Amino acid sequence: MSTSPAAGAARWAASDPNRVRLKDLRTEEMVLNMGPQHPSTHGVLRLEVVTDGEIVIDVIPHLGYLHRCFEKHAESLTYPQVIPYVDRMDYLAAMNNELAWAVAVERLLGIEEDIHPRVQYIRVLMAELNRIASHLVSIGTFGQDAGAVTPFLWCFRDREHILNLFEWASGARLLYNYIWIGGLMHDLPVGFEERCREFVQYFRPRVRELNDLLTYNTIFVERTANVGVLPLEVAINYGCSGPMLRGSGLRWDLRRDDPYLVYPDLEFDVCVGRGEVGTPGDCWNRYKVRAEEIEQSLRIIEQCLDQLQRGVARRTADFDPQKLCPPRVVPPRGAEVYARFENPRGELGFYILSDGTEKPFRVKARSPSFSNLSVLPEISRGAMLADLIVILGSVDIVLGEVDR
Amino acid sequence: MMAQRGYWANLRTGLRTVWTGLRLTFRHLKQARRRRAPVPIWDPSYFRQPDGQVTIRYPHEAIPVPDTGRYRLHNHIDDCIGCLKCARVCPVDCITIETIKAVEDLGTTSNGQKKRLWIARFDIDMAKCCYCGLCTMVCPTECLTMTKVHDFSEFDRDNMVYHFANLTPEEAEEKRRLAEAAAARPTAPVREGASEKPAAGSGKPAFAPRAVPRGQSAPPGQAGAPATRPAFAPGAVPGPEPEQSGEAEPKAETSSPQAEERKPTPRPFVFKRKES
Amino acid sequence: MGSGMEFFIALLGPVLGVMFVALLVASFIALYTLAAVYAERKVSAFIQDRVGPLETGPRGLLQTVADILKLLLKEDIVPRMADKPLWVVAPFVVFSAVFVGYAVMPFGPELVAANLNVGVLFITAFAAFEVAGLLLAGWGSNNKYALYGAVRSVAQVISYEIPAGLAVLSVVLLAGTLNLQEIVLQQGIGASGPRHLFGLPFLPDVSALGGLFTWNVLAYPHLLIAFAIYFIASLAEVNRAPFDIPEAESELVAGYHTEYGGIKFAFFYLAEYGGMLLVGLIGAVLFLGGWHSPLPNLGPVRLADWTTGPIWGIFWLLLKGFAAVFVHMWARWTLPRLRVDQLMYLCWKVLTPFAVAMVVVSAFWASWR
Ligand code: SF4
Ligand code: SF4
Repeated sequence: MSTSPAAGAARWAASDPNRVRLKDLRTEEMVLNMGPQHPSTHGVLRLEVVTDGEIVIDVIPHLGYLHRCFEKHAESLTYPQVIPYVDRMDYLAAMNNELAWAVAVERLLGIEEDIHPRVQYIRVLMAELNRIASHLVSIGTFGQDAGAVTPFLWCFRDREHILNLFEWASGARLLYNYIWIGGLMHDLPVGFEERCREFVQYFRPRVRELNDLLTYNTIFVERTANVGVLPLEVAINYGCSGPMLRGSGLRWDLRRDDPYLVYPDLEFDVCVGRGEVGTPGDCWNRYKVRAEEIEQSLRIIEQCLDQLQRGVARRTADFDPQKLCPPRVVPPRGAEVYARFENPRGELGFYILSDGTEKPFRVKARSPSFSNLSVLPEISRGAMLADLIVILGSVDIVLGEVDR
Repeated sequence: MMAQRGYWANLRTGLRTVWTGLRLTFRHLKQARRRRAPVPIWDPSYFRQPDGQVTIRYPHEAIPVPDTGRYRLHNHIDDCIGCLKCARVCPVDCITIETIKAVEDLGTTSNGQKKRLWIARFDIDMAKCCYCGLCTMVCPTECLTMTKVHDFSEFDRDNMVYHFANLTPEEAEEKRRLAEAAAARPTAPVREGASEKPAAGSGKPAFAPRAVPRGQSAPPGQAGAPATRPAFAPGAVPGPEPEQSGEAEPKAETSSPQAEERKPTPRPFVFKRKES
Repeated sequence: MGSGMEFFIALLGPVLGVMFVALLVASFIALYTLAAVYAERKVSAFIQDRVGPLETGPRGLLQTVADILKLLLKEDIVPRMADKPLWVVAPFVVFSAVFVGYAVMPFGPELVAANLNVGVLFITAFAAFEVAGLLLAGWGSNNKYALYGAVRSVAQVISYEIPAGLAVLSVVLLAGTLNLQEIVLQQGIGASGPRHLFGLPFLPDVSALGGLFTWNVLAYPHLLIAFAIYFIASLAEVNRAPFDIPEAESELVAGYHTEYGGIKFAFFYLAEYGGMLLVGLIGAVLFLGGWHSPLPNLGPVRLADWTTGPIWGIFWLLLKGFAAVFVHMWARWTLPRLRVDQLMYLCWKVLTPFAVAMVVVSAFWASWR
């Protein structure tokens, strides 16, 4: 090129910190820096990719661009005050995060069993609605990573209805602060259950449409089947969870295997990658697990609605979920808990240690996206550059949760 | 790669699925002649809208915000008793309150609580607020509410600090002096947020003991239109009125947040947390 | 001196004429691109249940005009590490490669700027020349993403030349000429020699009927497959989805034009949309009767005669071209993107064998006739 090698080298140094040094590269290799500003890194993730032509030799994810110190923050906030912060971890599934925090603290207080059934059913209803919303984003962006833009917008169209439902119930569209320790912010607005049922009816045909357009489209199948195969033992060793793990074929769902709230009373299937197309553990199977989980969530929602409208969790005039919240949340000194929950992206765990005050002494969040992302280099070595994007899309990370 | 199925089978499925997709998108293309109306979710026809364009043409129309909507905070300062509960519960410390003990009788709030404190300063930094709504839930007099106004961006970050107190600095100084004179123990500023502005005139000697005759009521224009920020607060830069631009054209089916805000915001879910 | 002056004046006329025609076509491409970008936005929006541009002008019609004004007003930034001459010249190379293609395009009975005897060759050659521009852009940008895009597009365009060329060849064999205008003339009422329906001699001669029945795809039914092959290959040649890997947005940000902005970027846009129309027009000329009307003469109702003429010619040809462009858009907003190796699989293992088969059929047909 027109500039001297020395000037070039100086500019290379400016792009540090890279893990890979130029002198370690072979002649035909090249370092490609993807992100933090890149259309397909789903936020501010930076991937340092060593490529040989179109082939990916190695990937090194660089994190921390969205680090907000959640765990340290939580130490200076009272337990109810942490909920807005928890919302902001996996901002696509805020209800699930709130549920996780609330139930974890309830377990710490030892009041988990005493939660009003209507509160429990509302929580599950909200969590499953949010799971659908989150999976819609995941499926949509995954399609977009493979080059199909239309499914993405269709998914967002339907997610909008869920957000409207949430705004109606909680007052906010993305970060709800709705599920409180011991109770809820409000009861469901009158008519919510009926509208929710209509949503289920409205949504079922849309899932079919999505399958027609994307799931079984040959180009999409070719792009995703047998790509980024994650063998089961690797998935287990890396601590993968959620659709990542189930996509590899293990029937492991904390809603069933370590149940909380009313999940034991609800009927649903745990979806696993069966290798209907491709092999279990590839991108297509991970995608398919999510698509099937949407339908299972619809089933759960219908059962919750049955209970909320006619069953044990009927609406009563004197039901005020705010009153159910303990006025002060002070767990006993030295109490600790690790509670784990099935989030859309996998196992979200909270470790909380109390020092007998209103504020937790230590909080550790085990976020599914972080563990799932760690397996990325393992499954994308040797793939093509276009595959890397698809694999990253199928891992379905939310950077807010990876970095916390 | 394509060895799983035969060459011809693959070709056939390929053509078939591509054709399915094309048919589907063409149907949507045709559907685009219709559009859904921006009805609110609580409207029974919400899920019975026709298929077609779903975009809401935002500045011209908007989905109505439900009554529970948690957007810009508003404090009806006449009802505030200065209990500081809101400032204490806020996870991001964006409420700054200064109170002065009143020597005279301040009357009661609209729900009958006795008012004992002048609110010399009640600033909410809406740029820091995370709209969690915790402050509105703890307020004992329900004077702090979240309104439906959601479109209030500003060019200057300082304009995001909303001043709700209705004492001028001089008046505040006056009250403080009176309080100090009346009691041996003055009420100090209790809680300072991160966005502090020096309390105006706090160090200066009062030049004239000119008692400002002042009743209970707020200055004209303040009580009736709570949406307007009190303009006389120290350092308040009168910025553009963003709430005008967003809701300029209220449509028939669109509720106008501003019109809503002029009446007392309905609070359907009443909560009184018992602080022990 | 005097003779020099006369020579100069004698030259001036044709040169001015050529320049006038060139300007006409250039402004047509520019206007068409404005419309096509708008149409693409609307088509994609409607497919995705959105509304598309709406605010700028009535129904958003001025949106693309506003966009082009924005591009014109933008600062012309040259990346510091770019290879400047290559970088600057690339968009113009790409655009002119597409632009000259229009020179041999027969728009009507007498409307063709350069009635070359080797029109088909000319167009194929210049379509390949576009690759040079893409490579210059990618290399000159000194950007890894751009380089990826450029290398991909070179591999892709050169590969897809082959099935496209073979599909074209199967027409040329039957037509016996490389002149585009003559190929068109053979497909209408004015055709010399008999043309039987579906090319089968026992079916009636339709050359007097004209219209739809004399088009190549109906006169020689196997050309329908050739047309499909040509259409798919042409999608790849103009780097449109599902073959848009050179600018694969989700992988390469914007591919070879990642570093371009302002008016240079606009030239890439002109080339892309101009290319879409051009391949559509070539397809129409070779397979769909060019500027001939699709309406046949039915007894006294001489629809074909009534709808033939210079204006009608332009109308029919552009209609066919726009239809092709619409299908390009429709496919783009429906299908995911192929991967590089799958692209090559499709080219070499699916399209090329079929195209070769079509050439063989054409060859036999032509010799048997
Ligand atoms: S809404 Fe939340 S963040 Fe905002 S002022 Fe109230 S308590 Fe603070
Ligand atoms: S909680 Fe309510 S009454 Fe108490 S200081 Fe805050 S706004 Fe005023």
